[in-house]
Amino acid sequence: MMNTTTRRVAVVNSAQTVLSPAWPDRQHIDLISEAVAGALKGTGLRIEDVDFVIDSGSDFLDGRSISNCGFLGAMGAHHKEESRVEEDGLWSLSYAHDKIAGGSAKVGLVIAYSKPSESDVRNFWTGLLEPFLQRPVGLDQFSAAGLYAQRYLATAGLKADDLHAVSNRAWERAVANPYVDVAEVPGDAAFWNDPVSTPLRASDLARPADGAVAVLLASADVADQVSATPVWLTGLGSAIDQHFLAAREPDALPACAAATRSALRMAGLDDVRSFDLAEVSATSTVGELMVLEALGFAEAHRGLDAYVGATTINESGGALPADVIMATGLVRLHEAASRLAGRTGYETPGATSALVHGTGGFAMQNHCVVTMEVAS
Amino acid sequence: MTVIHQPETAEANVETMDWMAAQIKMPYTLTPGQATGIFLAELAGRRLIGSRHGDELIVPAQDFSGTTGEPATGFVEVAPVGTVQAFTTGATGTIGIILIDGSTVPFVHQLLGVEPEMLELGARVEAVWADEPTGGMLDLAGFAPLGSAATFEPKDDPADLAAAFEKVDYTMTLDYRHAYGPYYGTLFDGVKDGRRIRGVKCSACRRTLLPPRALCDICLAPTAEWVDVEAVGTVQASSVVHIEFIGQRLTPPYVYAEIVLDGTSTRLIHMVGDVDPDVAQTAAAPGARVRAVWSDRHTGSLADIDHFELLPGDET
Ligand SMILES: [Zn+2]
Repeated sequence: MMNTTTRRVAVVNSAQTVLSPAWPDRQHIDLISEAVAGALKGTGLRIEDVDFVIDSGSDFLDGRSISNCGFLGAMGAHHKEESRVEEDGLWSLSYAHDKIAGGSAKVGLVIAYSKPSESDVRNFWTGLLEPFLQRPVGLDQFSAAGLYAQRYLATAGLKADDLHAVSNRAWERAVANPYVDVAEVPGDAAFWNDPVSTPLRASDLARPADGAVAVLLASADVADQVSATPVWLTGLGSAIDQHFLAAREPDALPACAAATRSALRMAGLDDVRSFDLAEVSATSTVGELMVLEALGFAEAHRGLDAYVGATTINESGGALPADVIMATGLVRLHEAASRLAGRTGYETPGATSALVHGTGGFAMQNHCVVTMEVAS
Repeated sequence: MTVIHQPETAEANVETMDWMAAQIKMPYTLTPGQATGIFLAELAGRRLIGSRHGDELIVPAQDFSGTTGEPATGFVEVAPVGTVQAFTTGATGTIGIILIDGSTVPFVHQLLGVEPEMLELGARVEAVWADEPTGGMLDLAGFAPLGSAATFEPKDDPADLAAAFEKVDYTMTLDYRHAYGPYYGTLFDGVKDGRRIRGVKCSACRRTLLPPRALCDICLAPTAEWVDVEAVGTVQASSVVHIEFIGQRLTPPYVYAEIVLDGTSTRLIHMVGDVDPDVAQTAAAPGARVRAVWSDRHTGSLADIDHFELLPGDET
């Protein structure tokens, strides 16, 4: 266990909008306003009680520079300390945790949002690539996922059809999730069978979604007053792989493993299989399997085993049916925290601990892991 | 520098006021640095250059190893021949991961003239060169099944290395379709058809906010009532713009002002027109009264206001 002179920090409430492939009739600020109002609602905390705001979004996706400046009012950041993290919202949450744990604030609001429907998502992903050697050759998010998948399937001894189990499971849970805009598991043959980037099909690739999520963090003295079941943050870690795709490991995510080690060390744990719940992010089915292996829920190339292990994986449906680029990891945290706190609609008897994972960068270059618990 | 303008397609939404088309076009001169600059420059001469970093040999040449951080200790010429380690086929063709003979770190490029169904991991390939070099990565067009090209051991310290490219011109063009949402949509509907400007009143502090929105910026309380606002107000700040910049819509000098429309608590940025820029600093100074002059445009945006004109000091 590391020294614990820092203050304990808890999630006291959180809220999200419905995640939809497109919200053509709502602006960013409309989505952000809904999530922020929801996170404060019922806590007894008012906006005056919030010491700072940290938010995740992408100028690139938003189509304006320093886009957070235009969204400050909706974020409740008027005349407050506010900063922007150009990474998934789980990184914003990490920084907010550190700020409160370090004693310089008591209450922080963490926000993440995006509307990928307003732009060309391929441009967003290829825009992350260094422009001299990788961007001109046609590499994009789909071909990168395909290159990982070909090598992963070959080593694991799996066929592309074996991945249907991963996506079908994800979509079934998304259908049951009232916050994901999908009526039924996609039934068309092309979705499941036509290659997008071999060996992957549309069913293997995350569906971009519009939405917003907000999480209210507080120091222990505040959390104990305003929440019956504070969800304590026990461990946080992040790590970044190298940028050049071909130079990375062919079928594993060592940066995800490194982020996990950091989070577990801080939490004083050594086996992730003790967690009741896990909510993980990925941009493809093979990506989700590699994440589950890097986190330690399965041996290398045995990611499929993770779904039948002791830990409940992605009960929300995960990132594949609704990838709110820049917000997906924080949505995962909201889902897990809501279950641990037993909020209405999320009742999960017996669940007291969770691991949350977020990813960012081109082809899952960056990883962030957060562990949480409630008093049992 | 950012150039933002509305392309022709902006017209497409005028009927519904649901969304606005926008484009960002950003010109860059990118600096590839020493190793990548040499690699790119050497492609015109049909040579592949790598770099040594301890036991690693990286192609394309790098200044530092991404794995160990080791700086390059020298450049090498490598054979235009390698092995396919992975490949994928999609809408843009077949992309492969290729390990050049003698190198230890592979890279991504296009696979040309291949039948993906027939291609196997470990296939041998050779470089395909562009007919006319244009000064970038695609001077190496990609890799095709091995033909007549000969492999050879990496040659250290190749003679007559080309000078590194110092910069590469690049333009990024991004297209957007921004949703107006219910609040802006209502405002712009009114502007377009009835020249009606509407804000919303905060349920807590009673400030009137323009443009309208769901929550008050200051107290975060929900806004409730719609309020009609007169297109008459007071200058809060103004600036005479003399500088020229990329993407400028108007020819300088012109006058920009922050205007508080009567009854509102928010500032609107717009032009003050019909005023000599030389006297604008005093004539359009804070406190000056202004009124909107509508244009002939009915696009449903605040650009339908051509400019604001100064009112005599005693008029309200
Ligand atoms: Zn107010």
